[in-house]
Amino acid sequence: MSEYAISVASNMGMIAFVALSAYVILVVGEISFGQQAYFGIGAYMSGAATAMWGWPFGLALAVGSLSAAAAAFAIGALTIRLRGLYFAISTLCFAEMLRLWLNSVHVRVEVDGEMVGPDGAEGFGDIRWIFENDVTPLEFMFIIYGLLGAVLAFLLLVERSRLGAALRMVGQDPLLARSQGIDASACKLLAVMFAGLIAGLGGGLYAHFATYIEPNVFNVMLGVHGLAYGLIGGLGTALGPIIGVVLDIGFLEGIRAIQGYRMIVFGGLVAILLIVMPRGILDETRVYRIKRWMRRT
Amino acid sequence: MVDFIQTTIDGLSIGSAYSLIALGFTLVFGVMRRINLSYGPSIMLGAFAGTWIFVTLDAQPWLVAAVTVAGTVAVGVYVERVCFWAIRRDAAIASMVSSFVIWMQLEEVATILLPGRTYPFPELFRTGGVEIGPYFFRMEYVTTLTVAILVLVMLRLLLFKTRFGLALRAVSENPAAAAYMGIRPGRVIFRAFVLASLIGGIAGYLLLAADQQVTPYFGLWATFKGLIAMMLGGMGSIPGAVVGGLILGVIESQTQWYLGNAYKDLSSYLVLFMVLVLRPGGLLGQGIAEREAQAFRRI
Amino acid sequence: MLEVRDLVTAYGTIEALKGVTLSAKQGEITCILGPNGAGKTTLMYSIACILKPVSGSVKVNDTEITGTSAPHALRCGIALVPENRLVFHSMSVEENLMAGAYTRLSSDRAGVQADIDNAYARFPSLKDRRAQIAGTLSGGEQQMLAVARAMMSRPKILMMDEPSLGLAPLIVAEIFSIIRQLNDEGVSIVLVEQNAHKALQIANRFYLLDQGRVTFSGTPGEIGEDDFIQRAYLGSKVA
Repeated sequence: MSEYAISVASNMGMIAFVALSAYVILVVGEISFGQQAYFGIGAYMSGAATAMWGWPFGLALAVGSLSAAAAAFAIGALTIRLRGLYFAISTLCFAEMLRLWLNSVHVRVEVDGEMVGPDGAEGFGDIRWIFENDVTPLEFMFIIYGLLGAVLAFLLLVERSRLGAALRMVGQDPLLARSQGIDASACKLLAVMFAGLIAGLGGGLYAHFATYIEPNVFNVMLGVHGLAYGLIGGLGTALGPIIGVVLDIGFLEGIRAIQGYRMIVFGGLVAILLIVMPRGILDETRVYRIKRWMRRT
Repeated sequence: MVDFIQTTIDGLSIGSAYSLIALGFTLVFGVMRRINLSYGPSIMLGAFAGTWIFVTLDAQPWLVAAVTVAGTVAVGVYVERVCFWAIRRDAAIASMVSSFVIWMQLEEVATILLPGRTYPFPELFRTGGVEIGPYFFRMEYVTTLTVAILVLVMLRLLLFKTRFGLALRAVSENPAAAAYMGIRPGRVIFRAFVLASLIGGIAGYLLLAADQQVTPYFGLWATFKGLIAMMLGGMGSIPGAVVGGLILGVIESQTQWYLGNAYKDLSSYLVLFMVLVLRPGGLLGQGIAEREAQAFRRI
Repeated sequence: MLEVRDLVTAYGTIEALKGVTLSAKQGEITCILGPNGAGKTTLMYSIACILKPVSGSVKVNDTEITGTSAPHALRCGIALVPENRLVFHSMSVEENLMAGAYTRLSSDRAGVQADIDNAYARFPSLKDRRAQIAGTLSGGEQQMLAVARAMMSRPKILMMDEPSLGLAPLIVAEIFSIIRQLNDEGVSIVLVEQNAHKALQIANRFYLLDQGRVTFSGTPGEIGEDDFIQRAYLGSKVA
């Protein structure tokens, strides 16, 4: 694989975390414009863990994703009674507050005679774990896809379980779910927290892949792209968001001919897709049909 | 004290333009219970059409204004057809995501049209403003405030004194019942979209003429300001949009004055977040919150 | 007056009406009875051109209106009082009435004003509340408003979907006397009702609808003869 292909593939893998995280919230019937915040928290925390505190990479990723999950839990608990657009805007508010606040966070410590740490709008550079440990881009890509695969497998397992059915029911009809004895608020909170965890994990990977992060990376465009990928791929299965990412970055990035007009082509294609399939390519009905077909053959 | 009042005056003037954008949002949301994320970008593209004739033909400010408004309406019609008319009535999320990808499209069209980042926008007046006692009124702000009040009065007349206004309110409340009366909801939605674009185009022109420049980021900026102002006041509520816009303008100018530029945006998000958590229906939208949310949830 | 022939209406692949034929005569009260899910409301919507039927025809005074638009059906003289009334809660009583005359609001201002005055003459309680927001009216008043609103289009045929739903017996009696009064003035009525006893007292002709088909039709006098229908839909003997 060429350098360029590896970098595109790695980017795809990392944004897939955001898409999956947006998807988990879509499943419980809410929309989030703010998953980039948890991606950012994961990036800053795990970046700090390796670069500032010298922790091992695995522990750093865990710290990043757990702190993102904790933040998601706190914000989720505050906004749990909001629905629909109100919920969506509250997530956006939090994400933008975080981003703007990061612009004024300066925590610099001396490591090996150099100052590292978040420096407000100047960003947070020198997250050098990948260099210090001689990890090649290809190896790092495997780490990304290994973790992505694990998250995906876990999500697919959950979807087959009773919990998965409960989450989907909450998304379709919270009143019905409540009448079935399902605690809709608890389900939502769980989904929000888990979505935070996934995004945080992706963010941790991103910090070490890019070695330099700044608050503006985690702007609303990142989150809304993730959301769009989730919907394009389809709300029927966790594979949907992956399809969305592959379609946009993998497919359209590949077509050099439309460079410069990429968003016009992509925007038009997605708009048409949504007219024909308003719940994405792999929606619930199609997933059900595919499963039935696979069982038969 | 003089500073505080002066800042409030400036905030109210900018806020009146926010109110207009929020009005456009709330009109469209009220009539179809869906969100048009491309609203700001439509205004931006309209403004790019305006600045294009300004840069290439050195057009007069009034012509730039006309082109800006007309451009916004044209783009608004495109967005309505693609993201809302063509998508099933019950697919609110699909409409919203569709309006987002169209936004990306519009932004790219703008950068292809004018490949630079920043373009000049003609100022309205060369004179600075008026002084009354210790207070200074910037001419642009006075114009913005006057036009905003004018638009509001006309909108009120339109909504409460005309046949179209009756139909628009009927569809906002209950599209099915409106259809039984022989009102065509699709047509009303389309006209509401045109009306919202008209208002948005005017607001965009006023804001940009005060700034004297336009960038592709104006789309994002306008969508955010409009959304925040609308949510502050309460979705679908016209007085809410006006009040929300004014409050947003004052909060911004006060924090900018007392805390500095860095906290200007942060404070408006913080206030909105707190309003959402403590009073989910917005300041004026009590009780309707649950109904709106339910309508919106029919994905 | 109203002729419905072999009407088939479907939601996706599910046929709610599987070929309904019925007719409502000039100046009569035609009643449509049937259990929940029989397709009564679907039938009303199809006649009023709110739903597009798959096949079949709807004729008003020998004019074909099948598959045209709701405004067109309204102009042909069909008005609908929907189930649950659906008055516009945030609008005043008078604005609700104006909405009822929407199709001729700009062309016939004077006529609309005259009709509003007529409505107030018929429903004096609405006149007292003309500026009041409709959402604050009682259930009975809202039903009156819904009827008055539908009458604003000067219909020849007034279709009413469950007008007695959720109302107290006294109010129901009032509503039924209004229906009778409108009928006496020459408006043909098509009435969908769960309250079969009440409905059969004023109906000239009735149809039983079950699973999208007409299973029985006749005059209220004939219904007593068929024991099955009585047991299935009425419970006890008709007085």
